[in-house]
Amino acid sequence: MAKIEDLKEEAKKLLREGKVKYIIGYGAGTNGWPAAPLFVKTPEEVDRLVWDPTCVHNLVRFLVDEKRRKSRQKQPDKRPVGIVVKGCDSRAVVVLLQEKFIDRGDVFILGVSCEKAGVVDDSKLARKLGGKKAKKVAVNAENRFVVTTEDGEVEASAEELLAERCLECKANFPVVYDLLSGAKTKRPLDKPFGSLDKMEALSSEERWAFWKAQLDKCIRCYACRSACPMCYCDECVVDSINLAVTADTTADEKAQRIRWVQRSTESSENMVYHLVRAMHLAGRCIDCGECERVCPLDIPLRFLNKKLEKEAKELFGYEAGFDADLPALVSCFRDEDPQDFIR
Amino acid sequence: MEKTLPKKHFSQWLKSLTSRRVYVPRKDEDGRWNYAEADGGEAALEVLQTTLPPKKILFPQREVFLEFTQSREGQQETLELKDVLPEVRPTVIVGVRPCEARAAWLLDEVFSGEFKDVYYWKRRDETALVGLACTTPPSEHCFCTSVEGSPHSVEGLDLLLTDLGDRYYVQVLTPKGEKLVAAAKTLFEEPKPEVVKQAKAVQADSNKKIKRQLKDARPIAEKLKGMFDSTLWDEESMSCLRCGICTYLCPSCHCFDINDEVESPAPLRGQRVRTWDTCQFPDFTMHSSGHNPRPDKASRLRQRLLHKFQYFVQVYDRFMCVGCGRCIALCPVGIDIIKVLDKVKENGA
Repeated sequence: MAKIEDLKEEAKKLLREGKVKYIIGYGAGTNGWPAAPLFVKTPEEVDRLVWDPTCVHNLVRFLVDEKRRKSRQKQPDKRPVGIVVKGCDSRAVVVLLQEKFIDRGDVFILGVSCEKAGVVDDSKLARKLGGKKAKKVAVNAENRFVVTTEDGEVEASAEELLAERCLECKANFPVVYDLLSGAKTKRPLDKPFGSLDKMEALSSEERWAFWKAQLDKCIRCYACRSACPMCYCDECVVDSINLAVTADTTADEKAQRIRWVQRSTESSENMVYHLVRAMHLAGRCIDCGECERVCPLDIPLRFLNKKLEKEAKELFGYEAGFDADLPALVSCFRDEDPQDFIR
Repeated sequence: MEKTLPKKHFSQWLKSLTSRRVYVPRKDEDGRWNYAEADGGEAALEVLQTTLPPKKILFPQREVFLEFTQSREGQQETLELKDVLPEVRPTVIVGVRPCEARAAWLLDEVFSGEFKDVYYWKRRDETALVGLACTTPPSEHCFCTSVEGSPHSVEGLDLLLTDLGDRYYVQVLTPKGEKLVAAAKTLFEEPKPEVVKQAKAVQADSNKKIKRQLKDARPIAEKLKGMFDSTLWDEESMSCLRCGICTYLCPSCHCFDINDEVESPAPLRGQRVRTWDTCQFPDFTMHSSGHNPRPDKASRLRQRLLHKFQYFVQVYDRFMCVGCGRCIALCPVGIDIIKVLDKVKENGA
């Protein structure tokens, strides 16, 4: 694991020299989960930064907010924003660069390597602790998790607590960074899509029943969409009002806007929303698992994204978020692509 | 009126209520607690907090107001409008937490007054709430005692059960509650004075078990009046994702949207539907001109807090927060309403 001391030192320097506007990192949470996003604006606040296996959040999503904020300011501060990224998160930065949503100069990337560890899964941790709450989670020299609770320490193997996505991780250290803390240790990966085995073994009828039951739970809080760094559209097909309406939009145009998805939480509408969300991530999702983590009703959304990731890999040999100079999967055609109807 | 109900009679009592629709907290397939129909099955009342509060039963996420159908006969075109009122069977929700019932008591205010919401009241009038005092706090983020509630408050409830080990101490609070007891009178017993004493002691003790506190909440309303343009909202909302979790899962949030959902454009056929909405979505305040008076996360976080701790207090003299702690526990980025309000109190001090 990367060292927090390295991070703090660099962060202080960056802020003192005014090289970054502010730094998006992790601090202590107060709501029962040890880490939470933290925005550091002055060198004095740097000591509040933390880095441990509960830093699950993909902070790249906050670059979308930063861009929105900047677009509203008359004279925006053009300095880059510092951001702490894990390996998976760095792949999200690559996708945003590739899609030209941000420029490389907009961000100063403080990369942290997970090395042989990763982040912990909240439900696995809750099961392990049986009602007790984790105050602190650390990784020891043998790459085992050490969880501190009110009643002392509990040890667990990496497999016991690691998030499923970490067990299938393709980038345990950042692929793009300005500064890196921790080592570039590759972890062998035997089954990159192992979590899909169970789902793929089901018949289509069984899968339909599974997804209908899961998606019927959805209350359309849109946390999955809101947490995703790739869901950066100003206007979303599922919103009831066109956010791109301006003072010049005519009444006719407003009235004629097609409602593709109704607000009602009916099976059909929930299904359309989730399929639209998943399809828009084809060849873009970097498996940070945020959509699934934030869902208050535990809908296993990662399955949908992972399946698309597998299709992209098998059909086009494409993996999102490794090379910012490549064209995005859905916006290019190569001679070796399997669909020859386009030639 | 006070009674006791031996626990061995509890499921029999539930069975005696089966002419009604009975909801109890049940564990779903994913291991989550949820208010669901009892199905005559065994009900366990020792539960953790449900993800969704019972608000979804009194104020469903989707409600049809009317149906419209266009028809044509020769040159004659007609549009038929049909009022739709919910068809409600007498309902009882058993195991409601006192804070959740207090939230219903707040919704009662909101949905009455000058405009009585017939859809809400059709359900509310037919629904009895049987509370379960929180002898153990169902969540580590409970703070009901800070917002004028308590683990055994009775507002909004028809009956309140307090767990005394082998029996429940039953406070009968309304005529609706009396009917529920009368459904199986013989199962209930008159409480001995020492049992009443024990129940009062258990209730008093439950207050002490609430770990989190928002001290001195009343003056916050006054303080907030001067903080509309504070930079605090920018700082505190930086990590907000603009999702709807804090409001959709809040037992007292009640904002809604009304849409015409067209099933067929020609001939026109569809429904006018009310659905939950939230001040946390950017399109909530979007004007048809394209202007949005709450254009950023800061103004939306401010709205959530001001509604709960300033506007509602001014209008109804009550907090619009019952201290269940769901918005704290379920926020994906750890925004903590107690911490934010603590900062409000410190602001400019």
